[in-house]
Amino acid sequence: MTSHATTEAPRRFLESERAHVLLVRVIRIAFPHDTLPDSAYERTADSLLDLAVRTNRMTLAVANGLDSLGSLPAGDFLGLTVEEAFEHLRAIERTEFFSFVRGNTVLTLYNLPEVWEVLGYEGASVEKGGYLTRGFDDLDWLPEPRVEEYSGEFSRVEIGALPYAVTTDPTPEPDRRTLPDRRTAADRRTAADRRRAPKRPGADEVTL
Amino acid sequence: MTAFDHDDEVVVIVGSGAGGGTLAHELTTRGIRVVLIEAGAHIRLEEHVNDEWEAFGQLAWTDARTTSGSWRIARDFPNLPAWVVKAVGGTTTHWAGATPRFLEHEFRARSTYGDIDGATLLDWPLTLAELAPYYDRAEIAMGVSHRHARKALPANNNYRVFANGAARVGYNFYATGPYAANAEPYDGRPATIQDGFNFQGDRSGAKWSTLVREIPRAEATGNLDLRPDCQVVQITHDARGRADAVIYVDADDNLHRQRARVVAVAGNSIETSRLLLLSASSRFPDGLANSSGHVGRHYMRHTTGSVYAQFEHPVHAYRGETMAGVIADEARHDPSRGFASGYYLETLSLGPAFLAAFAEPGSWGPDFTALLDGYANTAGLWIVGEDMPQANNRVTLNGTVTDGHGLPVAHVHVDDHPNDTAMREHGYRQAELLYDAVGSVSAHRTPPYPSTHNLGTSRMSVKPEDGVTNAFGRTHDVPNLFVSDGSVFTTGGAANPTLTIVALAMRQAEHIVDLFSRHEL
Ligand SMILES: Cc1cc2nc3c(=O)[nH]c(=O)nc-3n(C[C@H](O)[C@H](O)[C@H](O)COP(=O)(O)OP(=O)(O)OC[C@H]3O[C@@H](n4cnc5c(N)ncnc54)[C@H](O)[C@@H]3O)c2cc1C
Repeated sequence: MTSHATTEAPRRFLESERAHVLLVRVIRIAFPHDTLPDSAYERTADSLLDLAVRTNRMTLAVANGLDSLGSLPAGDFLGLTVEEAFEHLRAIERTEFFSFVRGNTVLTLYNLPEVWEVLGYEGASVEKGGYLTRGFDDLDWLPEPRVEEYSGEFSRVEIGALPYAVTTDPTPEPDRRTLPDRRTAADRRTAADRRRAPKRPGADEVTL
Repeated sequence: MTAFDHDDEVVVIVGSGAGGGTLAHELTTRGIRVVLIEAGAHIRLEEHVNDEWEAFGQLAWTDARTTSGSWRIARDFPNLPAWVVKAVGGTTTHWAGATPRFLEHEFRARSTYGDIDGATLLDWPLTLAELAPYYDRAEIAMGVSHRHARKALPANNNYRVFANGAARVGYNFYATGPYAANAEPYDGRPATIQDGFNFQGDRSGAKWSTLVREIPRAEATGNLDLRPDCQVVQITHDARGRADAVIYVDADDNLHRQRARVVAVAGNSIETSRLLLLSASSRFPDGLANSSGHVGRHYMRHTTGSVYAQFEHPVHAYRGETMAGVIADEARHDPSRGFASGYYLETLSLGPAFLAAFAEPGSWGPDFTALLDGYANTAGLWIVGEDMPQANNRVTLNGTVTDGHGLPVAHVHVDDHPNDTAMREHGYRQAELLYDAVGSVSAHRTPPYPSTHNLGTSRMSVKPEDGVTNAFGRTHDVPNLFVSDGSVFTTGGAANPTLTIVALAMRQAEHIVDLFSRHEL
């Protein structure tokens, strides 16, 4: 079914099961998480469709965007592999349709309590007395750090170089965004050991 | 509640945030009658919510603004150049609490950094020594940790990663503050329950804000007439060029006129400049107090950026005081790093809703979702450093876009200065090294959020031709018109601005009282 072949106006198409199914797949391909329940994607799609029908501009963009996914050169979007589907979304990244889906998914999907739960976020806490007795300081894989201000031998430098060594990298790599780390745990220990600062009390307890 | 007449000659303060709320408290407790006009609603503590978007919708200034320039905000958030609040208490309802002082040389930026191409640096007409007593008073009022016998906050999870990383790269000057939330009960307010919602409005009252401290105390004097949901749209002046009233619009779009013997504007840089520009008259055709042409110029928003690092083990960084972690070693002027001035590193954590919106705006796909999949094992920090003032980084009136009252909205133009970019790069790199030192498996560089620090658009200057206000925030052009917020910053310093805004407002209040008593105002 396409909206061209029927007398349905774009708004009616957006209320159809087909539009919903297509949108769920678009969102799932664009925002893949192994861990999220289907309901999270379903609810996000519902909410985006509700939003789209509120203005003619978005009704037109979203109905046309979804409808045209049925007749891609490679076939129906629903039949594409994950890789093909992802590549297709890359190709339409700049369209108003995709911008609408991307922007509103970010605002909707990650605002769902069921998603927070899967990601390990506990959310509202004031009714439960905050996190004071519920783990605000339960991180146990690093030693207890100092909370007071420094009171050692050095005074604070306000102008000029530091009189103590700080790890720096004069030639930063241009882009380290989200690079997966391929080092082994042993490498990492070495990196930590490369530190030039004197060990703090308790630093040996690190369990990395 | 006190109500003054529209014809009473009162001190009118525009805006009830850090600057305006403090000034109102200082004046009313000294017996001066004040009408405090606030564009936003009076939202009580019990109405605050532990929910990022809901609290944003409840408190943030979401009326339209526009932006342009090379800064990434123009692309990522074209209608939200700044994250500020429109409510009684202003942005102190959403603020975190980090409260470093300016360093001595930061008041002498031009002399210390020299002539930097494209930067409009100037020395402040004020020294640290002159401001120090007011810093003391501000810290005591705000209950700043680590100062005046206030306890340090405990180490939350995010700080544990941050401080251990800091120690391992060789930093020394790290601590859980200075930070203006109570570690133990103080000043009639409770100790923090570490609810993790500093950026949303703190329901417990442990965090300092003018909503919990200055405004209720000012009201108790009987000298304060607080008018929420009223937006000042013009300041008028008499034939001698002295401010004589403000025009404001109420929630029902009715216009009112309030007479004034003194007007103090504290709308947070962008709105302060907008109001002065909206108040143009025959005598001040370029905007009130703008004979110098500096109103709206030298807008500063600090050089910022965040790094979110993931670990093999859980962090749960969202639990606890959001910004109770400060590293000061890089907050120094050391040109050998390749840039002038310096920056702080401070702990920062967002919930998944805000992390998704801000971590990499415009992004999608598996790289993006990986940032969220690792949420529970993520630690985060913020880089905040001095940015260079530039003449064309500037707030102007938008000629075509109007707000709900039909008035031109503010347009904010910002180009990053090469010094800003170099500093941000350095901060990103140091943050990555810090997290690497405690075993991070990945680190992500997040670009600046809509500006939470907005400064410099009515800067203080010795000479009237160099700026808008004198060392007390009194405008050079209009003797009974004051600016009482971060707009008056001559340069930005590296420190988060609020402590300095409060200290300056306290100093300004004393000056106004002094001028009154000498019949010079
Ligand atoms: C998430 C977040 C975290 C922050 N954390 C920190 C921190 O840790 N440390 C720090 O130092 N700073 C922090 N800040 C910044 C801090 O909140 C501001 O520096 C401070 O509140 C600015 O004070 P102000 O008086 O200039 O303006 P505001 O506090 O913004 O108050 C201005 C008020 O004026 C009102 N107003 C504007 N125009 C008009 C008008 N025409 N008529 C009537 N009313 C008007 C506004 O509605 C607003 O209520 C943070 C900010 C945010 C958003």
